[in-house]
Amino acid sequence: MKELDDVSVLNDPQFQKLLKRRSRLRWGMSGLLVASYLGYSMAGIYASDLLGTGFMNSSVSWGIVIGYAIIALSIALSLVYVRVIRRLCSSQASDVSGDR
Amino acid sequence: MSGGTNITAISVFVGFVAVSLLITWWAARRTHSAGEFYTAGARITGLQNGLALAGDFMSAASFLGISGLVFIGGADAMLFTVGITVGWALILFMFADRLRNLGRYTFGDVVAYRLQPERLRMLAAIGTLTVAIPYLIAQMVGAGALIQTLFGLPYFVAVVIVGTLMTVYVAFGGMLATTWVQVIKAVLLLSGGTALALLALGRFGFDIDAMMALATEVHPRGEGIRKLGGLYNDPVSVLSVALAFICGTAGLPHILMRFFTVPDAQEARKSIGYAVVFIGYFQAIVIVIGFGAIALLSGETEYVDESGRIAGGANMVAIYLSRLVGGNAFFGIISAVAFATILAVVAGILLSASAGVAHDIYARVIRRGEISDRKEVLVSRVATVIIGAAAMGLSLLFRDLNVAVISTFVLAIAASVNFPAIFLAIFWRDLTTRGAIAGGVAGLVVVVTLSVLSPTIWVDVLGNEKAIYPYAYPTLFSVLAAFAVTIVVSLSDRSKRAEIDRAAYSSQLVRSELGHQTADVTVS
Repeated sequence: MKELDDVSVLNDPQFQKLLKRRSRLRWGMSGLLVASYLGYSMAGIYASDLLGTGFMNSSVSWGIVIGYAIIALSIALSLVYVRVIRRLCSSQASDVSGDR
Repeated sequence: MSGGTNITAISVFVGFVAVSLLITWWAARRTHSAGEFYTAGARITGLQNGLALAGDFMSAASFLGISGLVFIGGADAMLFTVGITVGWALILFMFADRLRNLGRYTFGDVVAYRLQPERLRMLAAIGTLTVAIPYLIAQMVGAGALIQTLFGLPYFVAVVIVGTLMTVYVAFGGMLATTWVQVIKAVLLLSGGTALALLALGRFGFDIDAMMALATEVHPRGEGIRKLGGLYNDPVSVLSVALAFICGTAGLPHILMRFFTVPDAQEARKSIGYAVVFIGYFQAIVIVIGFGAIALLSGETEYVDESGRIAGGANMVAIYLSRLVGGNAFFGIISAVAFATILAVVAGILLSASAGVAHDIYARVIRRGEISDRKEVLVSRVATVIIGAAAMGLSLLFRDLNVAVISTFVLAIAASVNFPAIFLAIFWRDLTTRGAIAGGVAGLVVVVTLSVLSPTIWVDVLGNEKAIYPYAYPTLFSVLAAFAVTIVVSLSDRSKRAEIDRAAYSSQLVRSELGHQTADVTVS
């Protein structure tokens, strides 16, 4: 077993593909969550009354329901991320990082 | 209301201490090398580390503090609970792989990977200590006050107990003992919180609508508690809170250190995935506990002092609620869980501080890596005892410290000094040593300046008429300043070192994505 030769790995189309897929997932999911959270917190200021209205005529407000929905989305995306990356890496040797 | 001598509380707590000391004794016999001391030999599994991460993060602040915040502000507290959960998911997406692949013991390893190592390690160590030491003191001051209320122990005794136990866990048992203490605490806190939420909901026949209706009816703000925007209604404050959670959580040294306790990037992703589940679940529960407390505690004169406020402050509502819905025995359990929570959190922070001193400063900067493994462990243990003793002394000295102010400050430093350095080091090719140092210093200076000029220090502490910086949180400006300075200085950096820094990015990129594997790369 030899250490990876960085230059050849970097130019390897397979590595480029891996890098591209991973960044798409990384920034896509991060962007979605940051946008939802910032949107939610700004809505707290500018649409306060709207967020205060009852969800389906209950005493639980839309603000609370949407907050819970973003928590659920964070959990769901995290589970998806772990699975997808594992599958992405499974056909290459497991990404072992030994002690240096 | 004083807990006096609650037998259940004392037995649950003594049980926790006994088990944790047994674990420490067991771990001490397995902790010899630096790798074992700092990272438990990188042999922790994803699930264990996920629980330990949740344990490290869920301080008394997130349990007692946020339920107290709901009690005062209602749905406004969702800004915090949602932010915490989102922040953790972002750590998974952005940091998990690259940090695990590039680091060994501390995040200092990561920022020093391709930049001038001594200077970056000093920055990392300063970032670690300016977070860890105030955080330790804030937790211990909070613990002292809480224990005083719950168990009727004098403040002095409470601080000495917490300080001694955390020092013993870390100095003898290192990361292995700290991890298991965190795991047990996380399980206790998650199950205790679940039981409390269920018991509160049970009072309403598990009808959330009925609970919310009563809460709205009895709260002085009425319908207002269903809205957001009551606590913070200007964009600067709201964005500052949001940035504190998005960037700050990912800059906490004791959290980052846990990335290195698992064998590889796959386990690192798994552990943070678990952490998101546990932490998100707990945030969801805390909101229920908070609204339950509004609905149930509001008419109860027993928990209110002469001025009509909750005795001991709003932070006590979760504890009082446990007594109201579960009787004295359950109250004892929840009190003991709150104590165990603080104990575990301070142990994790103390370990990260000692690693910052012994690994980043002593072994890598002063000795430039010329140090034996055994010697480094010895230095870490000595550092642990010194920092532990210093934290104890400072907590006794500053017992009137405003815990909330310190917690804000700590998260702001993590977001403005540590986060920009790590983020740009692993994602931005053009980052140079000079840029990273300048940005870190800028972040630090802006946080300290704006904190001093803010209402909480300028008006409340220094007694001035009007705050020069009118917002409670500095994060929006400090994070932007740190990023802006880092980027401008890096781009204009024409030094020899800058060339080395940029050239080394390619090799770092390969390592950060693939780790140190030696096989060929093939992608499906």
